[in-house]
Amino acid sequence: MSYVHFPVIAVMSLFLGAFVCAIFGKNHDKLCKAVGVLDAAWVFALIALIVKPVVFDGEIISYWMGNWSPIKGWAIGIGYEIDALGAFFALIVVFTVLMSVIYSIRYMDRDDDIYNYYTLLLMMSGSVLGLVLTGDVFNMFIMIEIMTFTAVGLTCFRNRSFGALEAGFKYLVIGSMGSSMTLLGIALLYAQCHTLNMAQLASILVNNTTPTSVLALALMFTGLGVKAYIVPFHMPAADSYAVAPTSVSMVFSGMVNKAGVYAIIRLVYILFNTMDKGSMQVLLTAFGAVTMFVGVTMALAQHDFKRLLAFHSISQIGYVITAIGLGSALGVTAGLFHALNHTLFKGLLFLCAGAVLYATGTTNLDKLGGLSKKMPKTTICFLVGAFSIAGMPPFNGFASKWMVYQAAFEKAVEGGHIYFAFITVVAVVVSVMTLASFIKVTQAVFFGQCPIELQKTEEVPFSMRLPMWIMSALCLLVGVFYDFVNKWFLAPATNAVLNATNYIDKMMGNGYAAAAGVENIQVAPAAFSFWNPLTWLVLFVVVFAAVAIVILTGKKSRGAVLETAENVDGKYATFFGGEASPFSHVSGSDLFWGFKKDWKGYFSFMDNLHSGIVNDYALWVVVALAIVTVWFNVFMK
Amino acid sequence: MKMKDGIKTKNIIVKCGADSMLPFAIIFGMVVILFGSVSPGGGFQGGVCVAAAAIMIYLGYGTKTAKEAINMECIRVNEGIGAVIYVVLALIAVFMGANFCFNTLKFGQIGDMLAGGTITFMSYAVGYKVLTGVGFLLLMMLGMLGANDEEEEEE
Repeated sequence: MSYVHFPVIAVMSLFLGAFVCAIFGKNHDKLCKAVGVLDAAWVFALIALIVKPVVFDGEIISYWMGNWSPIKGWAIGIGYEIDALGAFFALIVVFTVLMSVIYSIRYMDRDDDIYNYYTLLLMMSGSVLGLVLTGDVFNMFIMIEIMTFTAVGLTCFRNRSFGALEAGFKYLVIGSMGSSMTLLGIALLYAQCHTLNMAQLASILVNNTTPTSVLALALMFTGLGVKAYIVPFHMPAADSYAVAPTSVSMVFSGMVNKAGVYAIIRLVYILFNTMDKGSMQVLLTAFGAVTMFVGVTMALAQHDFKRLLAFHSISQIGYVITAIGLGSALGVTAGLFHALNHTLFKGLLFLCAGAVLYATGTTNLDKLGGLSKKMPKTTICFLVGAFSIAGMPPFNGFASKWMVYQAAFEKAVEGGHIYFAFITVVAVVVSVMTLASFIKVTQAVFFGQCPIELQKTEEVPFSMRLPMWIMSALCLLVGVFYDFVNKWFLAPATNAVLNATNYIDKMMGNGYAAAAGVENIQVAPAAFSFWNPLTWLVLFVVVFAAVAIVILTGKKSRGAVLETAENVDGKYATFFGGEASPFSHVSGSDLFWGFKKDWKGYFSFMDNLHSGIVNDYALWVVVALAIVTVWFNVFMK
Repeated sequence: MKMKDGIKTKNIIVKCGADSMLPFAIIFGMVVILFGSVSPGGGFQGGVCVAAAAIMIYLGYGTKTAKEAINMECIRVNEGIGAVIYVVLALIAVFMGANFCFNTLKFGQIGDMLAGGTITFMSYAVGYKVLTGVGFLLLMMLGMLGANDEEEEEE
């Protein structure tokens, strides 16, 4: 059997696995677990087999369902089209699923009715895989719908736990709004272009910007942004990541929001081919920068382990959106690299949070502490993940974040835009705050003093540690051999993103793209350097200047009256002596109390925004849609 | 469907109406499914028609009887079976060398019930899945609606 059939068999295998779990799974937990693991492993093998022809050799698979190939240049059937970009994301998806089902073997032991869990999980995986492999916008919408509703089901899976149903409801409302907008955008495109095939749409839309297509772009961009949880739409993400079973949180952050990112890349680069426009770059990078900043500052204020990780997940997606919004080859490479790395390290961190939850029964940072002696292996994995996300040199986060900075800075230098220089600064500052936040988590969970209730904590079983070890190893390997990853995976995927003609020609016949006037963005391979002494010198100067500014501006408060329990409220008093109790557990979650106090205005503003009322969140989606629509209408014509 | 003695009904007119329309709803839905590939309608529409029969039972006899008369667990399992049949029919083409969903079973005259080949059976699979799936959904929703009614009756 030729490998062209593998993508569709992979998607159908996941759906079949889901149905088998639904039919036979009730009261047969072991059967469900076996089906889950075998299915995920089989699909992983299938996708790994198409990586060589598609990613390494640069072939594009075009697959028409029921052999309905185009007639007279019109695509009438549903087609799957797998280029290097799709295969790259497919690899991320199947890897995440495999890790998640291995982890679930023991992690889901304490839940009942787990056949529902496996049905939903496999169905969601199948839909996300279908989304990244399909070449048809309506098929993409169907997959987005399946993804949204299974994700809602999985969010509410532990519906006895606090807030699960509420999170599910928020997700349902906001996710449905996103789906509806996407559908409306697709309907407008169909009305204008009379086709749903992405390749053909791309060739029709390239020199044909009408008010309808601009509105369709605005609707689809907003709708897919909801799926990627960029900032005005991020509120349900934080809730659902926190209350879903951790193996599902890992899948959400590893592949569900990557599906949104993939769809945005496909939309702005291939379908509308608009990334050469400055207005589009500014819009995407602005969304990305706001997402980064809001995500990380909200994370600093959290007291729940998983909720904190959820906000970091949002923040890291901001990096990806910023990088792909730069529109340069290096930017796209950086975005894809950071998407891959985010899957690895954020998955790892979520699995560690799940291990802590499994071992202690809580994720509240105020109640945890000193687990490094009880769970040394989990601690090591967590440190690897924390170093990666904070951008420490040997790990993968450093490599991709460095690429993001470099791409943004090059953009600023090339065009002389102060705006992109500002974006670079935001990216660096956010990275520093990420590190700060992870110092806090590490201190609160794994170091410090162990509360008396947690004295009997034990290390988690091997099947839960195995995915953690695999992902830790990959974090390190990808960071060390970044050149290899760049050459074999990122460069082909970047090439696929920037050269729409190959994508169109393979699907619609040779010469189709040229006839429609689609042009490739000719790119030099992305070049990036890590150990340039000059950059390091500049970095040191910048850091020195920053430290000097902080010291100089802080002069006023020197010698001021020390704030003690007597003259401020008790919240900030934990760090000072003079308390009645001889034993005071210095809670790590308040490690940055000074920072929080200085930024009180900002945090109370953000607190008001995250009101927990679904109507407010829906309003934010509508406001963002209005802004995006106006922006496109003003600048895109 | 077995009818036991002593079943309480709310209203004799509604019960008789439901009784008389129930077979027609089911037969009409079945016809729409069976001729789905050659006539207007199809698996989805016919499936919804059949599933609507569950509402008639509810209208005539109330939630409790509707729940007793229909085995929800059996319906849930059968929904999965319908989906599996569809995927297997579509996958047959792959193992015969064509693309996914290709029409491999070609027989019957044009206009026949079976003229669609694979599509006919796919339509049946969709119909089966929808009549079980939507039926399950309706019963679930009616179960929630009826929760208050039963309390009132007990009072």
